[in-house]
Amino acid sequence: MNPEAQSIVELCAYAGGGIAMGLGAIGAAIGEGYTASQANIAVSRNADDSGTIFKNMLVGQAVAESSSIFALVIAILLLFLDIGTASMLKAAALLGAGLCMGLGAIGSGIGSGFPGGQTCFGISRQPEAAPTLTTNMLIGSAVCQTPAIFAMVVALMLMFMDFGQAALNPTWAALIGAGLSTGLAAIGSGYGGGKAAGASCAGVARNPKTVGNVTTTMLVGQAVSQTPSIFGLLISFILIFKTFPETAALAPSMALLAAGLCTGFGGIGPGIGNGLVAEGAVKWVARNHRAAGDLMRIMLVGQAVSQSTAIYAMVVSLVLIFVL
Amino acid sequence: MSAAVKATQKKYCSRAIVAAIILGLPFIFGGYAPIGKGLILGTIFSILNFILIAETLPKKIGAGTRRKQTAVSLSSIGIRFALLAIPIISAIKLEQFELVTTVIGIFMVQLAIVSDHSMKLIASARKRRV
Repeated sequence: MNPEAQSIVELCAYAGGGIAMGLGAIGAAIGEGYTASQANIAVSRNADDSGTIFKNMLVGQAVAESSSIFALVIAILLLFLDIGTASMLKAAALLGAGLCMGLGAIGSGIGSGFPGGQTCFGISRQPEAAPTLTTNMLIGSAVCQTPAIFAMVVALMLMFMDFGQAALNPTWAALIGAGLSTGLAAIGSGYGGGKAAGASCAGVARNPKTVGNVTTTMLVGQAVSQTPSIFGLLISFILIFKTFPETAALAPSMALLAAGLCTGFGGIGPGIGNGLVAEGAVKWVARNHRAAGDLMRIMLVGQAVSQSTAIYAMVVSLVLIFVL
Repeated sequence: MSAAVKATQKKYCSRAIVAAIILGLPFIFGGYAPIGKGLILGTIFSILNFILIAETLPKKIGAGTRRKQTAVSLSSIGIRFALLAIPIISAIKLEQFELVTTVIGIFMVQLAIVSDHSMKLIASARKRRV
């Protein structure tokens, strides 16, 4: 085994592990903090129901923490797993895996704090709606975790797939780009999905009878909010599975790295924007459920327009991969 | 800690460990012991993490100053995550535990929470249809 390659693989694995856990802790901590802050407000409003509020805070925080536990799993694997044959491509793949998981956990962690917080606050307003609110919170929080799961899937693929036959230059850039694409794009989708879920819990607390319409609008809104992270996932898959010819030039490598960065950064804004659209729609469905159909249509049109910038980013990434 | 929080803890922790034992035992007796052992090991640490979240809740809120609350929260997260790292490292280092099922076990409490509420949701939807 080449000792230089071995030490570079170890360096990238350790750096990747540190990045995965360090970045991965940001989102969950903020999300859990938001839930706890709303629980405090809720208890001060309605101390009689502090037990139910605490219970929901506990359950909400346990689910919100999932994204950082994904990051922990990837970090520990990067630090302790026997990597096998050491190569420069393996080093790039491990660094990409760390970046992917660390970045990918941020949005889901923050986002899943919103439904938890709004549920605690909602229970102080409508204690009798607590069971409905808990279910609504859990559905919303669970869907928020989807972008972090995408990031974990890409990170695991980068860690365990064999790139032994691929050309070092430019594949190293493709592997790091793959990690960045899904990781960055997941930030907006996780956060946006959380905004929709938070509005849903606030809406159910306001008018528990509208739970059916509110939950449906939330789920559709969240599903569309996930689209930018699916674009990120698509670009990651192309970068991982496409075979690139060997080259001595640096430009093709930079094009592949830029492809990952383009869809990754390009997905953050639309993910958040889609979530804000869904938040508005869900909020008003709870206030006027008779207009649920119209609100859903307006939401989908708004999200489609908000989505367009993510599509531009994906098109540019495809040009960078296939044309340049 | 309030009775409601204790009851929630008890409910989800017992469901998680019962599910892990029911799913793990057939593997242990069927000759695939590392799969079952990994699941049970991960679940035990998932339960410990969930108990610690609940135990530190009143301490976080009753810590007094903001600085103390931050210190309690950070140390709670640090201890819990260090605890969750133990089964993963054990599964990597020891052949007695399967890594994949250990990781699944770490999410067993969360799975118990989500499946409990999903079942309730399905049951209420059926009731409404009838």
